[in-house]
Amino acid sequence: MIEAALSLLRLLGGLAALCFLGSGLLAALLPQPREFRVLERLVLSFGIGAVLLTLWMLALTWRGLPFGLGLILGPSLGLAAALLLTPRGRRALSGDLRALAWPRRPGLQGWDWLFAGLLATLFLYAFLRATLYPMWAWDAIATWGCKAKVFYISHGLDLTCIDAHNYYPNLVPLLLSYLYYCLGQVNDHLAQGLFPLWGALLLGLLYSLARRLGLSRRLALGLTAFLALNGTVFVVHLYIAYADLPLAYFTLGATGLVYLWLAGQAPRGSLSLAALFLAGMAWCKYEGPPLAATVILAAVLTLAWLRPPGTWRRLFSLSLPLAGLALGYLPWRLFISQQYLQVGADHIRNFYPQQLAQASVYLATVLIQPYFFGFLWPAALLAAIALGRRLWTSPALFLLLFLGGNLLAILLAYAVAPTSAAEFPSYLKASMDRLLLHLTPSAALLVGLGLKELWPSTQRAAVNQVKPSRMLHPSP
Amino acid sequence: MLSNWKLHLTRILLALWGLQLIWLAWHFAPEARDLARRIGLGEVGAAVRQEDPLYLWSASLSAVIPPDAAYVFVDNYESGKEIEVRYYLAPRRHILVSPESPAAFLFHTLHEEQAAYLIVRDQQKPPGPGVQAAVRSQAVQPLKIQGPGRVYRVDHLRFHWGFYD
Repeated sequence: MIEAALSLLRLLGGLAALCFLGSGLLAALLPQPREFRVLERLVLSFGIGAVLLTLWMLALTWRGLPFGLGLILGPSLGLAAALLLTPRGRRALSGDLRALAWPRRPGLQGWDWLFAGLLATLFLYAFLRATLYPMWAWDAIATWGCKAKVFYISHGLDLTCIDAHNYYPNLVPLLLSYLYYCLGQVNDHLAQGLFPLWGALLLGLLYSLARRLGLSRRLALGLTAFLALNGTVFVVHLYIAYADLPLAYFTLGATGLVYLWLAGQAPRGSLSLAALFLAGMAWCKYEGPPLAATVILAAVLTLAWLRPPGTWRRLFSLSLPLAGLALGYLPWRLFISQQYLQVGADHIRNFYPQQLAQASVYLATVLIQPYFFGFLWPAALLAAIALGRRLWTSPALFLLLFLGGNLLAILLAYAVAPTSAAEFPSYLKASMDRLLLHLTPSAALLVGLGLKELWPSTQRAAVNQVKPSRMLHPSP
Repeated sequence: MLSNWKLHLTRILLALWGLQLIWLAWHFAPEARDLARRIGLGEVGAAVRQEDPLYLWSASLSAVIPPDAAYVFVDNYESGKEIEVRYYLAPRRHILVSPESPAAFLFHTLHEEQAAYLIVRDQQKPPGPGVQAAVRSQAVQPLKIQGPGRVYRVDHLRFHWGFYD
């Protein structure tokens, strides 16, 4: 019992160290960290900490230094401490400590309690389900968990003894192996607690973004519960060790921050944060870099279409997210070429109309059938209808382009996939819901915009601490 | 204020979501029951794996196979068992070979990969041509390890280049 409690403490310590590292960088990146609420800084700092720590582990392997907790955490925490000791960092830290010491009472009422209760029940189940069962899902033991175990045992990014999609990016395996170092052993069931935590952070991020969109607390909580408890895909990913949930988190962060920046509602420094989230997307999964590129492409097209004042300056600003994408993509690609790792190549030879037809039918099924994502995607469609003309005359266009473009890209990818006709249906079934999971939280943002349109009075009620710098198209 | 049709549509959507929540609870109820039962009995964490014969067999194998050794695992990928064994035996080098593989391919793999062990996952099925030839060759010696499959110690140096079929 004592041993289990100590293991849990070690795990929590390891996770807290990630947040500490991320907080240090937030303090360095943001001109005024206090423009972000405590919840926002918490959910953002975890993701940023995860990206930096795992890139640092990649750098250690590059330099031929064997992994050890001291070497992984020592320099990272030292850097974070140095950044937090700057005047800006000290101000942010003291504010956070005050908020922790005297937390504001939530003051929930009526429906708020229902939504909060639903979320609490879900996470009680997900945390227990994740941490009390060993790692078991296919990709978890075939790829992510297997690599994590090997990296831990071999004290480095050693890919000589396994053939588990070795060219895939390694944010998740390295993070799991880091947790094994914190735990002092390969304890895969306890380390799986990372995934419900990541789900909770994703929901925290959605709630924060919804508030910044102008939704009341009740609507933002309702939207969060609506994403979490709609269909089985999100719930299941809370307790299987797949990289899709972390990718969905990074995608939501990147799209949300870029949307706020386009709408002139983003706190200062948001584009730098978006850059780090794009780095997380690229370093998280093989599908991450193209997905991250579509975030930037959608932003470019939105600016080109809406032509706000200072379009060229704004377009130039997007080089920052582009640099973030390069930060997440290039180190691993360089490592691959340096180590002569074999990169899986899909030999695209033809366009298969029958595959396009099958994929279109299955895509529609997954979007509509409640088993997968409940009513979230139909609600996103209704939100788009409710937005009407504003969909292409406001920054909402960015979300439409990102979501619509990626749905089309998914269909195109299936249409050129070099798969046998017999295997294609099972290929669709094994991958479509996960590809859509990456986009679904961003679709929830569109639902949030629809809610704002349906209940415009909530815009006044919502607390928005940010002074909008320049709106692309002010609300009518 | 909301127009009537928007209000109706929102209400319908919320009602559907409510029904979906009930369905979701029903869908996850069996897993939740199993979770509650395991918590009650204290059979959680690593104890769950002890119920799996494949894990117990893999644990016996890991006691025999050194961590730096390579083994050839004879099974179909689709069964999903290969990835489990690979996970349990990591970081030992794992090479998957299909049960239908001919002798030439299996011998070449054993030689090239310098495999020290040959593991056949399912001993209920008759061995394929490659495994049969390997057993006949005397270059593999069976080991007595209780479990669902067969295990052989391999002397890979005895497999020379050439045609075996």
